[in-house]
Amino acid sequence: MATDLPSLMQNVVAPLVKIVLLIGGLMTAAAYFVLLERWMAAWVQDRRGPNRVGIPLTRIKLLGLGQPLADGIKFITKEEYTPAHVDKPIYILAPIVILAAALAIFAVIPFGSVLPPIPGIPGLDKEPIPLLVAPGLDPSLVFVFALSSIAVFPVILGGWASNNKYSFLGGLRSSAQLIAYEIPLGLGILGVALVSGSIRLDKVIVDQAASGVWNAFLQPLGLLVFVVAAFAEAARLPFDLPEAEQELIGGYHTEYAGLKLLLFLVAEFLHMITAAFLIVILFFGGWHLWGLTGFSEESISWAQALLRIAVLSAKVFLVILFFMMVRWSWPRFRFDQLMALAWKVLLPLGLVNLVVVAVMVEYGGTLKSQFGGGVYWIFAISGWLALIAAWVVAALVSPSHDDNTPRRAAQKFDTEAEFYRTF
Amino acid sequence: MQLFLPILMFVAASTVLAGGLLFLGGLIGPSRAGKVKEMPYESGMDPIHDTRRRFDVRFHLVAIAFLIFDVELLFLYPWAVASRNPQGIDAAVSAGLIGSRGLVFAEVIVFIALLALGFVYALRKGVFQWR
Repeated sequence: MATDLPSLMQNVVAPLVKIVLLIGGLMTAAAYFVLLERWMAAWVQDRRGPNRVGIPLTRIKLLGLGQPLADGIKFITKEEYTPAHVDKPIYILAPIVILAAALAIFAVIPFGSVLPPIPGIPGLDKEPIPLLVAPGLDPSLVFVFALSSIAVFPVILGGWASNNKYSFLGGLRSSAQLIAYEIPLGLGILGVALVSGSIRLDKVIVDQAASGVWNAFLQPLGLLVFVVAAFAEAARLPFDLPEAEQELIGGYHTEYAGLKLLLFLVAEFLHMITAAFLIVILFFGGWHLWGLTGFSEESISWAQALLRIAVLSAKVFLVILFFMMVRWSWPRFRFDQLMALAWKVLLPLGLVNLVVVAVMVEYGGTLKSQFGGGVYWIFAISGWLALIAAWVVAALVSPSHDDNTPRRAAQKFDTEAEFYRTF
Repeated sequence: MQLFLPILMFVAASTVLAGGLLFLGGLIGPSRAGKVKEMPYESGMDPIHDTRRRFDVRFHLVAIAFLIFDVELLFLYPWAVASRNPQGIDAAVSAGLIGSRGLVFAEVIVFIALLALGFVYALRKGVFQWR
């Protein structure tokens, strides 16, 4: 690696600045999304949310905007308690790993398009600056997958190390849930990879911007599968079994308190933000908006660069609002329903989407020479037909009223010894 | 190396942040231990039995099913990326490495059909049935 000033600026200083900006922004965003979520809950339940905390020692309330700051200070001044019955190293490691993994995913997620070159700064004055910490990493979606799989480990490690039955059950449940929904997640992304010919997130956006057709229009079935799986991976409400309060106290973080608990909670919000970013980038064109943002990455003005950041953020914000609305709209699944949805519904639907998209991509070139731009209409219509057909078939094969019938009467055992004798 | 340096920096920064927060909390927060405080929290009941005992084999089954399907998916990724990439299948066909595009497509469809067959088998065997 060359060590002259321009390359040092380009390879070390610029990424460092981006990292600091991103981590600061994400932590602040996570804190304020908690406030937003509470406001949302208040709005849905027709009550006032947190609206008291403003500037301390005055009567200025600022609509409660001081709440996240107050919560943070409260968390830091709480006792950093480690119970005596836990496996100490693993118990302390788990929250660190989950937060580090949740943050590090953003190394490959673009948070804008590019900035124009800044004259006067060596190394940054020639080429546009990508708004991405690790630009040029080809298999960036593989990196996202790897880190989101790592998120399973702290959950099960924390649940195991806590040495508490509820934590243990929560850890088991969530590991089963997270790995079960990883498969539909991968299937949803396969369709996008096929259309773009790349699993680089910035390239996926540029592709959609160049054609002006977002993937959501062409493969709604893939979007459906991906969104449902993303909800489950982020453990948001219809799928929040890992910490179903009514059944498991706090789930895998029952024994955690103070800042260790904070790390788990922040990581959970970061998972939701990641899911929102991925949904927007893969299916809703990232920073692209027709007639506003253009599609070239080579020549770009400052106004356009900022506009693209604004468009991307606005889309992500809308998706997060959707996440929060869903939380107050659906009741939680039962565990067998959860597993049935992953394996019996989403997996076949994902396969159907994959085949439909594969056929479209394979014969799209031939069709394009005949129909020109009209080929997108053919793609979109077949995509939507696939969605409707798959939905109808899924509804006929496993009707929703079937889903709620009482479970087969479980065998009853009088003593524990009797239970173990059956093995 | 230059490609992965920012990622390493990011991972290091986020680990330091997480560890630093915990350290800060340990410095600032109070510290009082107690007999009852050190018990596992089970909603006020005194815990009975050890936590580490046998658990349900169904979780194992889910893990096995996951492994199978996830690996099969991983096989599909290279094809999905190469399918439309200019340096992908088309380049290989014009270089004479593969017979034709249609052959690759047919092979992939056969692969997906086998995957679907395996899925139907597992479904009929009741692997996905959570009893």
